[in-house]
Amino acid sequence: MEMTGEQIVPATRPVVWDALNDIDVLKECIPGCTSLERQSDGQLEGKSVLRVGPIKASFSGRVSISDVEPERGYSISGEGQGGIAGFAKGGAKVWLEDCGSDTKLTYTAKADVGGKLAQLGSRLIDSTARQLAGKFFEKFAAVVAAKSNVAEQG
Amino acid sequence: MNTEHPADAGELVGRSIRRREDAYLLRGKGQFLDDIPTPRDTVYLGFVPSPHAHARIVSIDTSEAAQLEGVVAVLSGIDIANLVLPLDSETRIDGYVNSVRHAVAVDRVRYVGESVAVVVAEDPYIVQDAMALVAVDYGVLDAVADLETALQPDAPAVHDHIPGNVSFEGTFSTAGFDAAFASAPLVLKERFRSGWVGGVPLEPRGCLATPDHTGDSVTLYTSTQIPHIVRTGIAGLVSMAESKLRVVVPEVGGGFGTKANIYPEEPVVVALARHFGRAVKWVQDRSEELLNNIHSRNHIYDLEVAYDRDGVVHAVRLDMLANAGAYTCFPFGTTLEATGGARMLLGPYRIRNYAYKTRSVMTNTGPAGAYRGVSQPTCFFAIEGVMDRIGRELGISPAEVRRRNLIRDDEFPWNNAVGVRYDTGSYRACLERALEMADYDRRRSESGKISADGKYRGIGICNFTESTGTGVRGWRARGLSRLPGYDSATIRVEPSGGVSAFISQASAGQGHLTTFAQLVADQVGARLEDVTVVEGDTALVPYGTNTVASRSAITAGGAVIRAGSKVAEKLRRLASVALGAPASTIVLRNGLAWVADAPEKSVSIESLARTAYAIGHESLPQGEEYGLEATDIYDPPMVTIANAVHIALVAVDPQDGRVAIEDYVVVHDCGRVINPMIVEGQIHGGVAQGIGEVLMEEFVYDSSGQMLNANLLEYMLPTSLDIPDIRIDHIETPTIDAIGGFKGVGESGVIGAVPAVANAVADALSGIGVNVNQIPLRPAFVHRLIREAGEKSVGN
Repeated sequence: MEMTGEQIVPATRPVVWDALNDIDVLKECIPGCTSLERQSDGQLEGKSVLRVGPIKASFSGRVSISDVEPERGYSISGEGQGGIAGFAKGGAKVWLEDCGSDTKLTYTAKADVGGKLAQLGSRLIDSTARQLAGKFFEKFAAVVAAKSNVAEQG
Repeated sequence: MNTEHPADAGELVGRSIRRREDAYLLRGKGQFLDDIPTPRDTVYLGFVPSPHAHARIVSIDTSEAAQLEGVVAVLSGIDIANLVLPLDSETRIDGYVNSVRHAVAVDRVRYVGESVAVVVAEDPYIVQDAMALVAVDYGVLDAVADLETALQPDAPAVHDHIPGNVSFEGTFSTAGFDAAFASAPLVLKERFRSGWVGGVPLEPRGCLATPDHTGDSVTLYTSTQIPHIVRTGIAGLVSMAESKLRVVVPEVGGGFGTKANIYPEEPVVVALARHFGRAVKWVQDRSEELLNNIHSRNHIYDLEVAYDRDGVVHAVRLDMLANAGAYTCFPFGTTLEATGGARMLLGPYRIRNYAYKTRSVMTNTGPAGAYRGVSQPTCFFAIEGVMDRIGRELGISPAEVRRRNLIRDDEFPWNNAVGVRYDTGSYRACLERALEMADYDRRRSESGKISADGKYRGIGICNFTESTGTGVRGWRARGLSRLPGYDSATIRVEPSGGVSAFISQASAGQGHLTTFAQLVADQVGARLEDVTVVEGDTALVPYGTNTVASRSAITAGGAVIRAGSKVAEKLRRLASVALGAPASTIVLRNGLAWVADAPEKSVSIESLARTAYAIGHESLPQGEEYGLEATDIYDPPMVTIANAVHIALVAVDPQDGRVAIEDYVVVHDCGRVINPMIVEGQIHGGVAQGIGEVLMEEFVYDSSGQMLNANLLEYMLPTSLDIPDIRIDHIETPTIDAIGGFKGVGESGVIGAVPAVANAVADALSGIGVNVNQIPLRPAFVHRLIREAGEKSVGN
């Protein structure tokens, strides 16, 4: 399945870029994330507990970042294993543009699922994936806005 | 006609006796697998499924799962392989590459849902938690899910030893085929496709194995149609004496062929019950059922038909592909559908020139096996589609094309081109009666046009034979070794006159307790209420082939007639002494024996039974043995051919592509009918399944082998709202080759419904140039066909 979306983040592009590369910010925004660590090879390794329809599972996986254009965007791809719940793999391209004093974040994402997740059927999976992506970027906007405010006030 | 054992004894056969089963089933008192009380020490199993369609198993880490409180053991495929031998159908036929299946994958998985480890725990909830903790490292391999892709030269090999993924290739040709084909002036070519479906019984599978207190024997309760085949098979797979294994079949909530299989879970449950010395239980959930229970009907028929300007078919050439899925099944191997479709395609037609090539193709999807009708719904979708196309091509009514091609009444017995004998049939009579009931000519004059309500209407015929009651020779001819082919019965008149009938069958809801009681009562002259039918317990009933391929009435019915007539003969001899009249003059009926021309001279069967068992004051006549029972076996002909005609009237809504069935007519002939109400019930259920198959159901796999709808929200089954009233008429043309005159009917409904509905949709859309050559006809697909036809006509 494929998803696209955009989110206005009330912060300048350099601030948003920093946040996109801040592992603590990502950890806070990834739905259900219980751990996220940078490995020696630069890849990220993490765990998320997610509920999709009747399935609740802990997914662990690795994520790598590529096509980095500082303060402009990057590509992110990864794969998560949820044991008998199945697996998910996919990638996203994130792009930043100035939008007045704010930043417009555009993303296109592609995801494939297997095992029990796939068997739930595309209606449930597609809507859940959209919901998760939406949650991530809304939260991201909120967290970055808060940080930006703190920075301005400080 | 076989006159050795006349089946004319009584008056119960032929009557719509109410089903004995319904009183308790409808009150919710049926004892299904999950209703059986479990011993206190029962442990529960979970089979950890692979999320990948094709992968190497690199490693399995069971440590975290094993530490969970309440977990007894976590076993890998290698652990299980030490307890259970690989499943092997031992199929032997030209062109077949045999393969075996490990009960649990050892080093490689080949479809999503195949199990890679087994969790044993004290509680089914702990099983679920522990399954989530088993960590499997997979090396993912390229998968192939699609029949045609699997035949490409660069396709991944599902099994390394099966070249080109073709596990079976069969060919056949009648003598002088090419010349016959070339002699006809017209040729029609069409490719018919059908999607993967399953039987989807209301009750998924499950089993419970309980070791006895001495530790010597095991009783296996399992939701199956084939207890004897299961017992013989499992004894071999787990290396135990068959005498120490008892297989008991509880109430079965639907079988439809999907439970005519030994599945890996059954030997694993038995092996672990022996290993741990504890009762072991496993019950399947719905998604496991949809992924793992046998799949069927993913076929392609490429047909070339040579015919003349009168619409008479001269020769048929078939190239058939049947998706066999990832594994052989037990007992059917991978040949069942490929041989079935090719051998049954000629149906009721006098087609003397026939050539086929048929192949079974392995893919990374669920294994294929027997589902009600086997390949007949699809092969008749193909050949009946051909009849309609000839009609459209020549401007002849589809009914008339069929009339011109049917085997004529004076041509019976007919030996068809592949060597199957049709002893009797009513092909023309069924067709004419069905046309009349459906008001065919009037309805057809309205076909293909858009009605005032904006819908297209069409009427479709399926005229077909049903291959039933396969005997020993029939299974051997198809290379199958694990199904014997005969069935058997023990009839015992008890000392007080009650009659017990132990029949080598296992009812999966067909009403055997009623129909066999009717037959037994007639055979021995008992009252219906005095007859008890016992089935589905290998400790109680004699050996047989059990309940597959529309066989019960033919094979077990034959055995009941044979055993019953032996008991009746003894009763007549005893009555002859008691009444002082020749045995040949004794009539047995309604619990009494009397002299034919002096009915006032009578003695009760109870009194004769007491004499036979030496209970009472009468002494046993000289030369008689004690007891009053007989066992007999009946091996029927190769197959017994039933026939029927279905006609469906449909409305197709071009707005949303939905098909509604507005009228449905069945005229069928299953020979001598034991219980018309039960036969009608069989037809109703079959038609409902056929409507699901042709309009709604399909296992959808993506190209990587993920099943995308292993749930009943998206695998659409018909509901009562989708099923029309079905108008049925019976024609009885008894078989003369098999005892009793019975022909099978269990699969008939689904066989007729799929082509009849497909042809009706094709008829409805014929005016706008839609070619219906693929099923299922789900709304989105029908809508697309209509839209594309519209674009084409605009383009022209």
